[in-house]
Amino acid sequence: MSLLEVRGISMRFGGLTAVDDVSFNVDQGQIFAVIGPNGAGKTTLFNAITGVYEPTEGSVRFRGSPVRREADARLGLRAAIVAVLAGLGAFLGINIQELWMAGIDANYTLNQPFPWGKALQDALGAAREVPFAWGVLPAILGAGVGAGTVVALWQRSRRTPDLIARAGLARTFQNIRLFTDLSLVENVLVGMDSRMSNGFWTDLLHLPAFSRERAWTEREALDLLQFVGLSERAHEAAGSLPYGHRRRLEIARALASKPAVLLLDEPAAGMNPSEVAELMELIRRVRERGVTVILIEHHMKLVMGISDRIVVLQYGKLIGQGTPAEIRADRRCIEAYLGTEGEG
Amino acid sequence: MGRLPKPILAYFAIMAALPLFMGASGLFYDAFQAIFVFSLVGLGLNVVTGFTGLLNLGMAAFMAIGAYAFAILTSDIYPFQIGFWWGIVATVAIGAMSGFLLGAPTLGLSGDYLAIVTMGFGEITLDVLKNLDAVTKGTQGINPLPRPTFGSWSLDLQQERGWYWLLLGFVLLAVIAVRRLERSRSGRAWFSIREDSLASQCMGIPPKRTKMIAFATGSALAALGGALFAALLSSTGEPASYDFQVSILALCIVIVGGMGSVAGTLVGAVVMVGMNSLVLVKLAEWAGAAGVGNASNVLASPNNWKYLIFGLALILVVRLKPDGLLPPRLEGGAS
Repeated sequence: MSLLEVRGISMRFGGLTAVDDVSFNVDQGQIFAVIGPNGAGKTTLFNAITGVYEPTEGSVRFRGSPVRREADARLGLRAAIVAVLAGLGAFLGINIQELWMAGIDANYTLNQPFPWGKALQDALGAAREVPFAWGVLPAILGAGVGAGTVVALWQRSRRTPDLIARAGLARTFQNIRLFTDLSLVENVLVGMDSRMSNGFWTDLLHLPAFSRERAWTEREALDLLQFVGLSERAHEAAGSLPYGHRRRLEIARALASKPAVLLLDEPAAGMNPSEVAELMELIRRVRERGVTVILIEHHMKLVMGISDRIVVLQYGKLIGQGTPAEIRADRRCIEAYLGTEGEG
Repeated sequence: MGRLPKPILAYFAIMAALPLFMGASGLFYDAFQAIFVFSLVGLGLNVVTGFTGLLNLGMAAFMAIGAYAFAILTSDIYPFQIGFWWGIVATVAIGAMSGFLLGAPTLGLSGDYLAIVTMGFGEITLDVLKNLDAVTKGTQGINPLPRPTFGSWSLDLQQERGWYWLLLGFVLLAVIAVRRLERSRSGRAWFSIREDSLASQCMGIPPKRTKMIAFATGSALAALGGALFAALLSSTGEPASYDFQVSILALCIVIVGGMGSVAGTLVGAVVMVGMNSLVLVKLAEWAGAAGVGNASNVLASPNNWKYLIFGLALILVVRLKPDGLLPPRLEGGAS
């Protein structure tokens, strides 16, 4: 069984088919490259794999399972709670005035002890007298809308990027997306979020677990910065980094979640030859950490130099796959890459 | 440990010492009590808008919810009467809960849409408070409200200094809480959403949950501000005291002080509210003394053109210091 299986993925936007029935498998420990001319659908494919888009057709299986939320008892419980609250809210929203007067105003005199039991009974009595149209009906409607909303929202959020990232697929972006106002360490710490366990109250009250977690996460973040060669600038703002370093920071941030798969979207874009050589070295070292790497890249020297396996996309279709040597020998792939007439 | 940075410590030292040099001037205390209340609301908005990047134009509604929840639970016209301190605790919880309830269905909305929803929520809250007169006493407001007690001693309304320090204490607590969150996992998650929500989600941060926690924290602080505002007046005042202009004032505080900056929010509150309740009041006095104070002249009372000054201050800040008077700074060192 492959680590990541892409099965018949299609991605359509209105009339445009960006990715058309693409299938391939990625094995554990591979460096796997996706190449193809601009507009071939490579980034769209990445977005479909990482949950930014929901594929129009097809599925992605990671370690043999489709990464998505399944309907379980918790969903039912949540829908039930929201339904009850919404129903009660609708009922009270319309009738609170009468209930309040019957229960509280009628029973309370200033500074006299308050008969709680009688007040409750009176309020319930008033509730029973509410006509059907202003009591039961709104409650039913409210409950229905509440439960419906929960289910609808759940349907739409079955396969979200955060879920997929937590499952072990981390990524970088073609147009680098760092948190520019945060420091380098903080950027990496955000990437590490899925491995942290401290909640809101631990952080607010500074419970013992707070310092413990802070100590190991910061140590590990600094280690990762060291790994990509940025540790001297650890506390500077990410926005102050030169372009080449930003790519490395993005890689460190993605590695922070200890992913099984790292997806790199054009990591060498805009780099000079010596930076590309360093990047190749870095990608190899990432693989040595046991991380499977999938990359989109135009830089042929890099792709041919480090990939174990390559797939070629053109106009959204997969037109070839194999080892670098096989791709180099494939006429269709060469044509696609050099471009046929009519392509700019 | 997350020690407070020097500017914030200096602020609290100066503020705590200030009453010792002021006589029993009512104006001074009125102004600073308002400044502290709005510091709390500003800190709340700073979490929502400054940290998380969610534009919230309905802060006044959460203040109102806080004020009315506190009033209903503590006033002796109702049978609950849980006392000042439990009232504050309950109010903070109710504020957070109302933030959750508004946030749950709406935080999927982005940018401008959320701003419009929060604005609408503010208007709806006002209308509900005005019209639900069996519970809220309509435009009269709920009063009287209890005084805070410390053991057998209780703080009278006339003890301006006591109220001053009490409110300052609440601001200090809120600052510590917000600073701790700012420099923790929650804070980083909020910042990452503000900086780039897609990248944040792809790093495994669940956007909706994270935003809801920010929203609830902000609402809880605004509700605390509202409750103290009501306790200070011993009345919720009329619902119109929590209108849209109050939400805008909170936003001005955060913008003038510096989005995302705790120290900035404190300064913003001093500048904006101080202008409103100190400078303008003085101006009105002088205008009166100089004989300009003629009721028929609209321009005679600075109250009539205070929003002109607010607007001017906002334009000046945005033009000259777009990041605010005290913009947030990256803090060096791992902690």
